[in-house]
Amino acid sequence: MDASWKLTEAQLREWLQGLLEKYDVVAPAEEDGVVLFSRITSEDEAIVEPSGKTRWSPKEFLFPRTEALYHYTFGSGKVQLEDPSLPERPQVLFGVRSCDASGLVRLDEIFLSGTTDRLYAARRENTTVVTTACAAADPECFCTAVGGSPVGEEGSDVQLVPLVEGWLLRVLTDTGRDLVGEAKGDWSAATAKDVKRLPALEKKVSKEIERSPVNKEWSKVLEEGFEHGVWNRLSHQCLGCSICAYVCPSCSCFDMNHNGNAWSGAQNRSWDACTFPLFTLHASGHNPRTTGHERYRQRVLHKFAFRGDEDEPFRCVGCGRCVALCPAGLDIVNTVAAAVDAIREEGADAAR
Amino acid sequence: MTEANVSVARSETGAAPDDWQPHIVALVCNWCSYAGADMAGTTRIEYPANVRMLRFPCTGRMSPLMILRAFEQGADGVLVSGCHPGDCHYVQGNLVARRRFTIFRSLMDFVGIDLRRLHFAWVSAAEGHKWAKVVSQVTAAVREAGPLPSFARPETWDGVDLPEVSGSGPEELDAAQMEAIQANLRKAASEVLSAGRVGVVIGYGAGSLADQTTPVFVSETADCEKLVWGEGCRNNLSTYVFSALEQHERVAVVAKTCDLGAIAGLVREGQLGRDQIVVIGVQCSGLRDGSELATKCLACTGDPHPVCDLVVTADGVQESCQDPSEAALDTPDARDEQIAHLESLPHDERWKYWQRQFARCLRCYACRAACPLCYCSSCIAEKHRPQWVPTSIDSPGNSTWNIIRALHLAGRCSGCDECARVCPADIRLDLINRKLALEVERQYGRVGLDPDERSALVDFRMEDSEEFIL
Repeated sequence: MDASWKLTEAQLREWLQGLLEKYDVVAPAEEDGVVLFSRITSEDEAIVEPSGKTRWSPKEFLFPRTEALYHYTFGSGKVQLEDPSLPERPQVLFGVRSCDASGLVRLDEIFLSGTTDRLYAARRENTTVVTTACAAADPECFCTAVGGSPVGEEGSDVQLVPLVEGWLLRVLTDTGRDLVGEAKGDWSAATAKDVKRLPALEKKVSKEIERSPVNKEWSKVLEEGFEHGVWNRLSHQCLGCSICAYVCPSCSCFDMNHNGNAWSGAQNRSWDACTFPLFTLHASGHNPRTTGHERYRQRVLHKFAFRGDEDEPFRCVGCGRCVALCPAGLDIVNTVAAAVDAIREEGADAAR
Repeated sequence: MTEANVSVARSETGAAPDDWQPHIVALVCNWCSYAGADMAGTTRIEYPANVRMLRFPCTGRMSPLMILRAFEQGADGVLVSGCHPGDCHYVQGNLVARRRFTIFRSLMDFVGIDLRRLHFAWVSAAEGHKWAKVVSQVTAAVREAGPLPSFARPETWDGVDLPEVSGSGPEELDAAQMEAIQANLRKAASEVLSAGRVGVVIGYGAGSLADQTTPVFVSETADCEKLVWGEGCRNNLSTYVFSALEQHERVAVVAKTCDLGAIAGLVREGQLGRDQIVVIGVQCSGLRDGSELATKCLACTGDPHPVCDLVVTADGVQESCQDPSEAALDTPDARDEQIAHLESLPHDERWKYWQRQFARCLRCYACRAACPLCYCSSCIAEKHRPQWVPTSIDSPGNSTWNIIRALHLAGRCSGCDECARVCPADIRLDLINRKLALEVERQYGRVGLDPDERSALVDFRMEDSEEFIL
């Protein structure tokens, strides 16, 4: 399976342009000064760089911000329901960072285990992921602190590794091999030296990330200290928006809403977040999470606790976007460390 | 209006189909215009049948959301009609509405709605003829404007290059001066705490990233060392005053020049007693996001304003007790050129400019959360019986949200730019806010820092301008 080639920038671009014929290609592109994943129509729109992240993750191409579950029309005394159309053209997510690809795997765990989500599954089935390993860390990055790696392969079908000049292309799955297909004609095979770039980058970038790791044993501590007063102290700054959840590669919560008029419309599902009071508001008027600190705690614990067993990864993939974009400068890793310290020091029951 | 009709109008992006008929929603008041329309009917006056009427108690009851709702649902034009000034059955409903619609109209114009689609009229119960005339006039204008443009994100469009903003910003301070300010700030905080003037000081503490700060709540004098001062002190801390007041009788808040308008606004709107807060104004050398000076700083002096209780500079800490009614924030703005540039573009370019921005909106409501003056305990975006703002994170709900957010702050927004700073999608909310501030000032004069003044849109004058009203 593991086949590797060395590509020049021009060859990479040529391959990308070729993909547009058969696939909907989603790649980082700039719009009004913001770099975001979007559907490109020409390879020159794509920003494929050795480092740097999009403003938010590509999850919306598998789990859209809003999607119709069914459409309805009323006419001549009848109600007609119609299923939303499923994607026909296969889709490639191109230039995804390792953290974001891991985020997609975390989404799979939610939408594909147990009862399979039909719409998500159809998109996932249709999607090939081309990741780009990182040659440098952004200030907010902390993938290595949560078990990830700047050159991680999780969730990746094809991996691009920035060389000093050009790219190393590694095929990691059958789907990835299909994507490379005939294109490899004039590519030169990678040398052992090229392949060594991978561990070298991992070492270099990991060193740039100056975060101490989040210990897996902390999950239990956090759960035990669920009622600890520290949550109140740590969440004082939280303004209760949902930037953290919406830019997060692994946050998967949604709400149902109805959009339409008396003649036609749709039942939609849209992103929602545990940081909003309405998220948990019951029809009865009861709200199990009335305070900001309960909601903030929920998000932190859902990333770092509530895991089935010890081997299960954290639901945080360490992209650091929530840290960089939080209006109040809250830092989820510092929060976890501070909470664990306080719970251990003062006992799980302190300041209930 | 049926969905079928709407889709006919929308299916064409260019010229309207031959059989296209404009759909116009008329919001009318029960006492005058509805009766006027009735009069037109009973006197058998003929007028175009493109208008669907909705009856309200008063134009004062009509929220701009209702107009936005009509556009969302595919109306090509909207007409609002009520009693003549002085004839309102609720005395002043139409006078307050007149101001609201003046400002709303300028906002709709700014986001690219052709004003031939949006009309306002005074029609009394006796004016059947006028009603017919107004409807004919409005229908002709909407027909000329054509079908409503699509709310969808413009896919192939080059965008607008706004002129670069420039300005020198506040006086630059060297490291020693910044250090001195920080030391004086800590001293000031420590003094108000130890003298028992306040229970807590809301200030800036070091953040986890190099240029970031995070709000800190200091209630022990020993903790005053946590307070920092620098170019990363971005938050408008008055947002946190309410939560701090839940636990303390009086709180101190560290404020930059740009934060003071919000504090004055909260006092003016009765949300905050002036005696509940001690404002520590600190000399500011401007904020930076990365290496760039923030846009709002370009035309700012950075001087702590006299309305503060304490003024912290590199030289020391002073008590200040100037009369706020004499103080007016001078707010020239580097962005005015960008606004003028947008206004010079045709409507459809402006519409595309904003629709592409709104299409990026994630509806994270960070703009609302960070805004000190968005203090409603329950936001209109959360009202769902009926659902005023569609919760789907797409068009046209995104437009509605961004427009109504701005409008609810018209005449109130203090220009602290927090909404634009926190927006993860970089939507230029600051341009919208600034545009509204300019329009309110042009029409009704500037509201300064005096807590005794009234916000422009809850006030009215009989002689307010109404040249656009039919």
